[in-house]
Order: sequence, then C-alpha cells, then structure tokens
Amino acid sequence: MENYHLNYSINTQPVPQKKKIRRNILFSQKIAPYIFVSPFIISFLVFFLYPSISTIIMSFQEVLPGETRFIGLQNYKKLLNPHFYAALRNTTIYTIWTLIILIPLPLVLAVILNSKVIPGRNFFRSAYFIPALTSTIVVGVIFRLIFGELESSPANMLMKALGLHAQQWTMHWGTGMFLMVFLASWKWLGVNILYFLSGLQNIPKELYESAEMDGAGVFTKFFRITLPLLKPVTIYVLTISIFGGFRMYEESFVFWQNQSPGDIGLTLVGYIYQEGFMNNDMGFGSAIGIVLLAIVLVINLIQLKFTGAFKKEG
Amino acid sequence: MLLFTLTMTVSLLLSGCSSEASDSGQSGKSSDGATKLTLWTFVEQHAKFYKYMADEWNKKHPDKKIELQATTYPYDDMHNKLLLSLQSGVGAPDIADIEISRFSNFLKGKPQLVELNDIVEPVKDKIVQSRLNIYSKDGKYYGIDFHVGATVIYYNKELLGKAGVDPNKIITWEDFKEAGKKVVSATGKPMITIETNDLWSYWPLIVQQGSDFYGKDGNVTLDNEINVKTLEFLKQLLDEKIAKAAPGGGHHTEEYYGFMNKGGAASVVMPMWYMGRFTDYMPDLKGKMIIRPMPRWTADGNRSAGMGGTGTAITNQCKNVKLAKEFLAFAKLSREGNIQIWKQLGFDPIRWDVWDDPALKEPNKYTEYFGKDIFNTLMSVKNEINSPTITENTPKMNQLVVQSVLYKVLKEGSLSPKQALKNVAKEMKKQ
Amino acid sequence: MESMARPNTAVKIILVLMLLFIAVIALFPFFALLLASFKPSTELLRYGLNLKLQAHLLSFKNYIYLFQEGAKYLIWYKNSLVITIVGTILSLFFSSMVGYALAVYDFKGKNVVFILVLAVMMIPMEILMLPLYKLMVSFKMINTYWGVIVPIMVAPVAIFFFRQYALGLPKELLDAARIDGCSEFRIFFNIMVPLMKPAFGAMAILQAMGYWNSFLWPTVILRTEDMFTLPIGLSGLLTPYGNNYDILISGSLLTILPIIILFIFFQRYFISGLTVGGVKG
Repeated sequence: MENYHLNYSINTQPVPQKKKIRRNILFSQKIAPYIFVSPFIISFLVFFLYPSISTIIMSFQEVLPGETRFIGLQNYKKLLNPHFYAALRNTTIYTIWTLIILIPLPLVLAVILNSKVIPGRNFFRSAYFIPALTSTIVVGVIFRLIFGELESSPANMLMKALGLHAQQWTMHWGTGMFLMVFLASWKWLGVNILYFLSGLQNIPKELYESAEMDGAGVFTKFFRITLPLLKPVTIYVLTISIFGGFRMYEESFVFWQNQSPGDIGLTLVGYIYQEGFMNNDMGFGSAIGIVLLAIVLVINLIQLKFTGAFKKEG
Repeated sequence: MLLFTLTMTVSLLLSGCSSEASDSGQSGKSSDGATKLTLWTFVEQHAKFYKYMADEWNKKHPDKKIELQATTYPYDDMHNKLLLSLQSGVGAPDIADIEISRFSNFLKGKPQLVELNDIVEPVKDKIVQSRLNIYSKDGKYYGIDFHVGATVIYYNKELLGKAGVDPNKIITWEDFKEAGKKVVSATGKPMITIETNDLWSYWPLIVQQGSDFYGKDGNVTLDNEINVKTLEFLKQLLDEKIAKAAPGGGHHTEEYYGFMNKGGAASVVMPMWYMGRFTDYMPDLKGKMIIRPMPRWTADGNRSAGMGGTGTAITNQCKNVKLAKEFLAFAKLSREGNIQIWKQLGFDPIRWDVWDDPALKEPNKYTEYFGKDIFNTLMSVKNEINSPTITENTPKMNQLVVQSVLYKVLKEGSLSPKQALKNVAKEMKKQ
Repeated sequence: MESMARPNTAVKIILVLMLLFIAVIALFPFFALLLASFKPSTELLRYGLNLKLQAHLLSFKNYIYLFQEGAKYLIWYKNSLVITIVGTILSLFFSSMVGYALAVYDFKGKNVVFILVLAVMMIPMEILMLPLYKLMVSFKMINTYWGVIVPIMVAPVAIFFFRQYALGLPKELLDAARIDGCSEFRIFFNIMVPLMKPAFGAMAILQAMGYWNSFLWPTVILRTEDMFTLPIGLSGLLTPYGNNYDILISGSLLTILPIIILFIFFQRYFISGLTVGGVKG
C-alpha cells in the first residue's frame, strides 16, 4: 500500500497530516475520476483545443509567410465551388458504401465463424485479419499493380475470364470509387469481424437454448436474439466507420497521389491537403477543415442520440 | 508502483535511443573543420549529383570544406515539409530542390528564400534566360534549375520506316498529322500518345506558340484562341485514331512504359529529361528511337518549349548563406557543374555555352540509346525555347487544367475544348 | 453460439466455400507481393504484374540488394520498433485509465468529457497539422521519437474501446473492494486492469498497428534519414521520376512479414482477447 501511494504524492515523506489528505484524495470517489481522466484533459487542451483554435483563426485569414491578414468570410465563400462539392460527394458516397459493406458482411461472417461446426475457423479469422496489419501506403503499391490498366493485369485477366471488358480502373469515377471501397473493405473486414465475434461471445447460450425449445429456426434466432443483442457492438462499429469514412485519405492517395482526374478520387481530407499544402493556402485549408469537423460532429451526434450511446448501460 | 516503473522504463528506453535533436537548420562545424550544409531533394539521383559536386568542391577548396548532408524525401512530403518549416520559421534545410509547379508557392507573401542575384548575374548571358525568370519575383532570382527541359519529339524510326515516313520531312503539325495517317494504316499503331492526366502533351504545344495559361502580365489567358485551337487539334488526333490516350493517363506510369516498350506508338512529345525514362524503363527501344525538334505550327514558328524543372533554392534559415551560395553556383552555374548535369543526370543543362563542349559528345548511355546527335538537335533550336509563365496561382491552375480540362475533354469527352477551357478560366480569374 | 448448430452438409460446404473465396481475396495481394518481390523491376515496369511463374526471371536479387544497399533499411526498422513499442505501452496505460473512469464513475462533466473524446476521435490530424507542428517545435520535439508519440499518446479510439469494455465490468467487485478499504487507484490497477486483460490484448495489437503503419505525422516530425520509420523510408522510394521497385517491393514485404508472423504466433491469444470479453455499450 505504502509503496503504491508514493506515486500519487508529490511529497514522499510520510507526514501524517498530508497523508490524511492524500488518503482522502485517493479514496474519494469524487476526485479519483478527475485524476483518471486528467491525461486526456491535458492532451485535449494542448494537442487539440489549442491547435483547433489556431485553425479556426486561420480559417478567417490569408496565411502567407510574414504577411498574415484577416479576410473575413472569404475562405468560406470560396468553398462554394465544384471541387468542394465533388469532395463532399465522394466522401459521403464512400462512407455510405463502407457502411453498407463493412457492417452486414462482417456481422454475418462473424456468426458463421462463431459456429463450432465450421472447420478451420481460426484459419479464416487470421486470414481475414492479416490485411488490417499492413500499411495502406505499402499495400497500395501492390494494389496499383493488380488493378493496372494493361490487359494483362490480374484484375483485367479476371474481368476477361468473367466475360467482361478490361477496365481502366483509375480513370473513371465508378471504378475509382470501387477501388477505394474495395481497398477499405479488404483492409477492415477482419477487424470488424473480430468486433462482432467479441459481441457474440457475450450472448448467453441459454437464450438460444430456450428459443430452440420454443421451436425457433436459424433465422428466427438470428433476427430475434443475435441482432438485437449485437446492438452495442454495432453502434461501436458504426461510429468508428463513420469517423473512418469521413477522414479517409490514404485509400485515395495510393491510387492518385492527390491528383485524380476530374476529381474522381478527391476526398475532403484530400482537398484540405491540396489547398493547404499543395497550393499553400492554409487559410482556405483550415476553412475546409472546420466545415468537415462540423459535418462529422453533427452526423455523429445524431447517430449517438438515436442509438442511445449516452445512456449509462447499453 | 506501476505508473512509476512505467515512466522510468519508458524514459530510459527513449533517452537511450533518441538521437540528438539535430535540427537540420543548424550548420555547425564538424570535427575536421568542414562546414555542414543540409540539403533536401525529392530525387535520389539529384542527391547523388550534389554529393559528387560536394566532393569536387572539397578537392578544390580545402580551406572551406563542406560536409553536405543530402536527404531524399518523397515528392509531396518534401514540399509540404519545406512549406511547414518555412511558415513556422524553424527546421528548414540550408538548400532545397523545389519542383517548378510548386515553386510559386514558396514565392507567396514574403519569400522565405534567399535572393540569388549576386551569383546569377555574372553568368546570366550564358544561361537560357527563360529558365531564370520562372524562379523569380520582382526581378529577384530565387532558384537555379538543372535543365532547360527543351521539349522534343521522340520518334520510333522502326515504325515510321514501316510506313515509309521520313521523320526529317515532318516540318509542321499538319505534316505530322498526314504522316500519322500513313503510320496508322501501315502499322495499325497510333502515331503519338497524349497525356490525359498530366500536362506534358498540351502545355509545351501552346508555350511553343508563345501562348500560355497566363499572359506575361499575369492575367488568365487560358481560354484564348491558340489554346482552344491546340486542344481541338489534340482532340481531333484522338478522334481520328491518329493518337491514343496514354495508357495509365500519362507518360510516367508503369502502364505507359510497358506499352511504349513494346512499340506501342510511333512517337511521343516530351522534354529532353525524359531520355532517362527510355534508357531505364524501355530498354527494348534502344537504337530505335531518335530525337527531333517538335513540328512547327507556322512556317517560322518555334520548334521547342522549355518544360518542367527543379529550382534549387537557399532558405532564409541557412546560417552560412555565403558558402551555400558559392557551393550552389559551383554545382549548378559553373561550366563543370553543367557538364556533370548532363553526364550524371542526362539533362540538357541551362548553360548553352557547354552544349558544344566535346564532353557532351562522349559516349554514355544516352548517346548509345539515341545516337550521338542529341546536342546538335538542341543547338538547332537554341533560340526557340520559350518557358512557361509562372504565377502565384500556377499550382492550382495546372491542377485544374489536368483535372477539369484535359480529363474531361480528351478522356471523358464530356465537354468541348472551348467550354472546358472557359470554365476553368472563369474559376481561375476569381482567384 | 448454437444457432448454427447442425446445419446439413450441403449448407456447410457452401459456407466453407464462401469463406475460402473471401480468404483468397484477403490473401491474394500478399501472394502477388511475394511473387513481385522475386521479379526484376524492369520486368514489372515493362509488362506490368502478371501472375505467371516465369522461373527464369525469379531471383533473390531484390533482397540481396536490399541488405547490401539497405543499411538504412535496418535503421528504419529499429526506429519503427521503438516508436511502436513505446507508443503502444503509453497509449494503453493512459487510454485505459480514462476509459475506465468514463465507464464506472458518475462525476460532473462526464458527458462533456465523453463528447470531447468523440470529437477528438473524428478530427483528421491533417487539419491541425500546422499549429501542432509549431507546438512541437517549441517543445523541441522535432526529429525525436517523443514528437511522434506524445500528441497521439492519449488515443481517443482506445479510450472509447476501454470505456465500452469497462461498462461490462462487475460493479459488485468495485463495491466489495471499497468496503475492504482499497483506494480507487488500487481498485483500478489491482482489480480492474486484470479483468480488462482481454481488452488490453486487443487494443495492444490495434494500437501497435497504428504506430507501425502511421505515415503522415511521423513524416512531419522526423527529419533525418537515421530517424525515419519504415513507411517514410519506403515511400521515399516512390518518386515521380520512376519508382524504385527493386527495393520498394522487397522492402514492403519484409515490413509486413514480421507482423504477420507475430500475429500468427499470437493470434489465438489476440483473437480471444478481442472476443472473450466483448464490447458492451
């Protein structure tokens, strides 16, 4: 005990009075949580709030080396342009696609993989998870080769084998979106399966047993028991997927390096990068960032409100 | 106890490993009295070239030796990092390579680069003038290029031969088109490839005619008549199947190298510095490619245009500006520096007074590939090399021309050349 | 779960075939990468990637080159390791504390803190990069491991995960320990942390992955080649003037390989880590 207390006191001398106060602090259910969350608060203030305020200020400025000046709402007015719309549209559609694919599919796969009668379950779990271990940047190199434009690229060979036409994958909006969604799905499928598996393990077996006694079939059990009880995990996966979707950048970067033709691969973060760094317009970049922030905040607050994540218990 | 142990372990681990926070902006003296100079570039070969020149410098100037620390970063990262460092006033290197399409970003506001007039002026008359202007602001020079980037046309003489076309008789673009028809009907291969994701097929063609995206006064001239007509010409070539959109969208993609190497098209318009891509990535074409001036648009029109480039600059965070300048002048402005630029990098150096130097005729991998008359071609167009007009908004303009003009007109076909150019011109005029 | 119990054989075969099909998709890029790493880069550049096993073209040249020319490569490896290990330990330590507090205590401002966690979670770092960079400069953390780790050390995603996990911890234990006279911190470290072991296991891998693969922020902070991490070093080989495929592909493969081996070795532990306790929210 004594040893343990040392870490939380500035003065390690066992002065009785101080020790008493310390005891109070250490035992106080009122104060302890604040100490627990203090690392976050500090990190929030220093690495988030301060830079955020700087960013907000910059969004009203023209930021040039040695010549920064306030320009009112001009940066925000500039947002009304086709590139911003394209970025917003791409990002939104991409996010929706990842939600459509990366929630139901892993859920079903998790249910299958959770069944003891399927052979090689551990193999499949690992195989699906391995893509998540890799860096998008590194894997992008091989994806670009696989989805090469030449007739002999693996993807085009497959297309031909299926009786379809070879594609110029990175040159059209539809196939470009497919590439980004495919890369994301490839990478994150295994992670989401694991989240759902973890949720499944928490469902008491007795529920199924009693359902079976009532004569429930596979599908009834799935819709009546599995789905409702997986709600908390689903909320978690949904939340991180929305965040992930809106801040997507690398999936586009590996195919086009910030220069996609006709903006087919432009995302909101990519647009910030383009304007803020490539065109040295940090003020405008900040304005895009602030708008992105507002969009994501609103979507998530609505989502959390509806799904009730603020309630104490799931 | 846990917290304590953890912090201790962690700090031990980190202090044991983290290297001295050697801020790259600092230039101290190393033990043997050499002055440290840091340099950033985005091309590995450039870094090798600078190191070679630093060794040469040290041989000649044992009294003021330098220790050059050259670091290669990925293209985007290097430029962004440099911007961040210059904006915040810390962490920039002494010397940096800045690519031409990004350079004007660094001239916005008060340039955080050092004025180079005192090293440029003495040799100014021996340098292709337009190569200096692209890195200048208000009469001050801030960057020194490696090369002229003279645009030429690379012909596959084997394919031309099959169609009975003599490349030396192609004088104008009209001739080129006629010859193209012959090549297509004789070989089934396109006469030329056109970039839809990059500027190298369009920009040189309009600069060649004295036009540009911006006028000399900095006004947007993107939708002027020459530009519209030139784009219509390219579209026509594509529509009539004389040209093919470059596989992969540009001349720097893996797909394109593969396509071209198999004899995919009879010609390509690119700057001189593209030679290295042939030698490195299209080995099967060795001995089959020849370099000629671009076709003219009018009887007395120019036959080239200076395209691309990398301006080497000294940042205002450099502590030994005088020495950095001397070294930079030695590496990129001196005769021997320019000769090495050809020998090591295969670029057409900015000092035209070395172009007829015997050293440039010595056999190397480029002369073996393209023949010995490379610099004869270059000498013949010496006075016909315009460079583009660069403004503060050039990075954005280039990006829009690629994304909203070339792609939409040449690839998608969703807009007419005139309409696409008008749209972007309108957007850029608002900037 | 027993809901899938005793499906008939035909269904079972269809399911397994489907699982196999997805596994092939998941693993195919690695196979392609492996194959490409034995091919000369000129071949890849000229003809693109094809899947023929042209025996006469395959060689170890890329790997030999990597280790002869790639002394730097080993240094990048070391840097990546240090940042990953230290970063992960610190992230787990701080995030679990915060997440735990958000789950088990009722205190004023709790919801505010939770909303802030969510807010930080969704901020792309790109937005804050310039001010953050300036901050790091004034902390003298440029070109140090600390500079990479510290700003992302208290990881909101991990906080969120630990909070969800801790919601499922038995409250009775908490009360019992308090009656026994344990301080709140002792309860956390001695009783709750062991209970959250599975969550630690899962987050350890996810956090380590994040550090190992992170790219943008380290690029801004790390300055000299001897401080680069693997993704920075490798992406430096991708240049607009022709990619250096010889080293890039073999180097990429060797970057992925140890994690995969590690994962296969520990996968049982890891998967059970993520699955045993489960996410509750």
